[in-house]
Amino acid sequence: MSTQTTQPSSATEVGQPWLLVARREVATKLVDRSFLVGTLLTLALIIGFVVLQAVLAERTRTYDVVVTSSAQTMADAVARQAPTLDDGIRVTVVPAADDAAAEAAVRADDADAWLTERDGSWLLVAHDEVPSGLEAVTATVVRDAVLTQNADRAGTSVAALTAGTTLESDVLVGDADQRGFAQGMAFALAVLFYMASLIFGMTLANSVVEEKQSRIVEIIATKIPVRHLLAGKIAGNTVLAVGQMALYAAIGLVGLRFTPYSSFLPSVSGALGWFLVFFLLGFLLISCLWAVAGALASRTEDVQSTSTPVTMLLVAIFFGSLLLDGPAQTVLSYVPPASAILMPQRVLEGSAQWWEPLVALGILAVAAGAVVLLAERLYRRSLLQTQGRLSMRQAWSAPE
Amino acid sequence: MAQIETRGLTRTFGDVRAVDGVDLVVRPGGLTGFVGGNGAGKTTTMRMIMGVLRPDAGQVLWGDRPMTAADRQRFGYMPEERGLYPKQKVAEQLAYLGQLSGMSSAAAKSAVAEHLELFSLGDRAGERVEALSLGNQQRVQIIAALMHGPTALILDEPFSGLDPAAVDAMADILRDRAASGVPVLFSSHQLDLVERLCDSLIVLARGRVVAQGTVETLRAGGPTRYRLVTAGDVGWVRDQRGIHVHDVDGGRALLELIDPGAEQAVLRAAVDRGPVLEFARVVPPLSEIYREVTA
Repeated sequence: MSTQTTQPSSATEVGQPWLLVARREVATKLVDRSFLVGTLLTLALIIGFVVLQAVLAERTRTYDVVVTSSAQTMADAVARQAPTLDDGIRVTVVPAADDAAAEAAVRADDADAWLTERDGSWLLVAHDEVPSGLEAVTATVVRDAVLTQNADRAGTSVAALTAGTTLESDVLVGDADQRGFAQGMAFALAVLFYMASLIFGMTLANSVVEEKQSRIVEIIATKIPVRHLLAGKIAGNTVLAVGQMALYAAIGLVGLRFTPYSSFLPSVSGALGWFLVFFLLGFLLISCLWAVAGALASRTEDVQSTSTPVTMLLVAIFFGSLLLDGPAQTVLSYVPPASAILMPQRVLEGSAQWWEPLVALGILAVAAGAVVLLAERLYRRSLLQTQGRLSMRQAWSAPE
Repeated sequence: MAQIETRGLTRTFGDVRAVDGVDLVVRPGGLTGFVGGNGAGKTTTMRMIMGVLRPDAGQVLWGDRPMTAADRQRFGYMPEERGLYPKQKVAEQLAYLGQLSGMSSAAAKSAVAEHLELFSLGDRAGERVEALSLGNQQRVQIIAALMHGPTALILDEPFSGLDPAAVDAMADILRDRAASGVPVLFSSHQLDLVERLCDSLIVLARGRVVAQGTVETLRAGGPTRYRLVTAGDVGWVRDQRGIHVHDVDGGRALLELIDPGAEQAVLRAAVDRGPVLEFARVVPPLSEIYREVTA
């Protein structure tokens, strides 16, 4: 074995070729117009949705209620108490000379409703539909006022009359509103995971086949080990996917602060942490499948069919995460790669014991490791086969 | 500089033995032409030298030791089917490939700028590869093989698709690199070009090396021929000893030497018979040698 030193001095060792590959993946994507437009569009959608929620929550509606002098006192009470009963409702009292004038005002849409007392009971008259918020506020005020009157006449008080009559409701686990929020959040996470795995997976498969189709892979394979090429591509795409998801999530969370849901945020932050960890490993596993799908194809047109199994798997996981509950959900929350989304969802919904995500994460990590090894072999062996589409079996047994 | 050598290189695809026990040597400091018909096994051999394909048997040596991936990383390689990222900008892409070959980012950038100027592509650095003409894409491909100061060049059909001016420029560059002590192996179908450029030659047919050596050596292995043109009829040469008459047509004859020195007797006899217009050694063109060795 000789120890000749014939290398030119300008060259240095490539320490981590996969880093170079990953950097190229990220750099080319960040200047890709369709990627940027897609990201901005999604951000606009998220911001639009949050703003809409905030506006809907903040919006107050002012109702003009027309009354004759006999109902003036009651109407004033409604106007006074409306903001405390429903912070979205304000009531303005509009006096009218008589019943005919009041009815005419409602008919002409000059007023939203006419409050009047008829045959000993109160009546709220609107043009064609009584606004439900106004109706609820008015009903409460009228009931309280009349109850107080009746109690006074009977020589007692409202408090004494109603003592022990109310039914409070409560749930044993969590809080009902919070559970609804958690379910919404779980849905949002499932959508994010599905979209990220599909969009970035497709990107990865296409960039693998682009290298195959343009034959540049033959040059790259003489420079660096194919394993590094695969690792770099997956790392680059993972950085992009996680970066994009983090951006969406950050904007979404900042936006949530301006909606009535902001009080629930602290309760889900732990689950979001789990989601991130599971997302990373799940995405790694699924990326390997996408890379193989790309390597099995020889032309961009083939990717559609070689990636069908991966797409089907993702669709199945997506619907599983939305529809499953009970034992089926529990079992699948341990099965990779479905566990990547089902387990964080269970954490979010509060149905998982503290040790469950740890076990599922362990299983997912082992599975991801195994898939990386299998994918590396399939990728390496199919990468230089450029005669049409390969089956999984052909790729597995192809000579190098 | 080391030489590239293969020993018993063999590769089978299905039932077809594409390369069958190839022993070849590519010496540093000269251009080695690699010729052979379609399907002779040139591309498969080059891919095995570059480690893209794994040989079923045999080995590739760099100097006196087995060639490693680290050796190959510093080679310049131009595959038969060209490969570049169509949508990436020329300079960015070349800098990336330079870094994959082991250059630092700064060294790669300055090498790219230098080579783009050298190939008159300086103003196209910011364009996508797909926006270039095929000829210019080919130049970018050549830069990709040359820019990192390769320790060897393995080029599969580097001249295909080039116009005559570009062929000359490419030939100058290859000669230059060879002169700096780098072994250069290139395949080509253009035998006249190979003959003009190459110091040595490897002829492949049906997966085997059928001839190898300098062009002179290959010629030396073939028959020595003389052409005789006289004013009168040369039918008399048929009676001369030590030669084989290949062809006679009026005053012209093509003679093949059997006994060295017999040509002198023929010349004397010709001068005795009248004016000799021409008597010359016939150097067979490479295409003829090629036909003979691959027949």
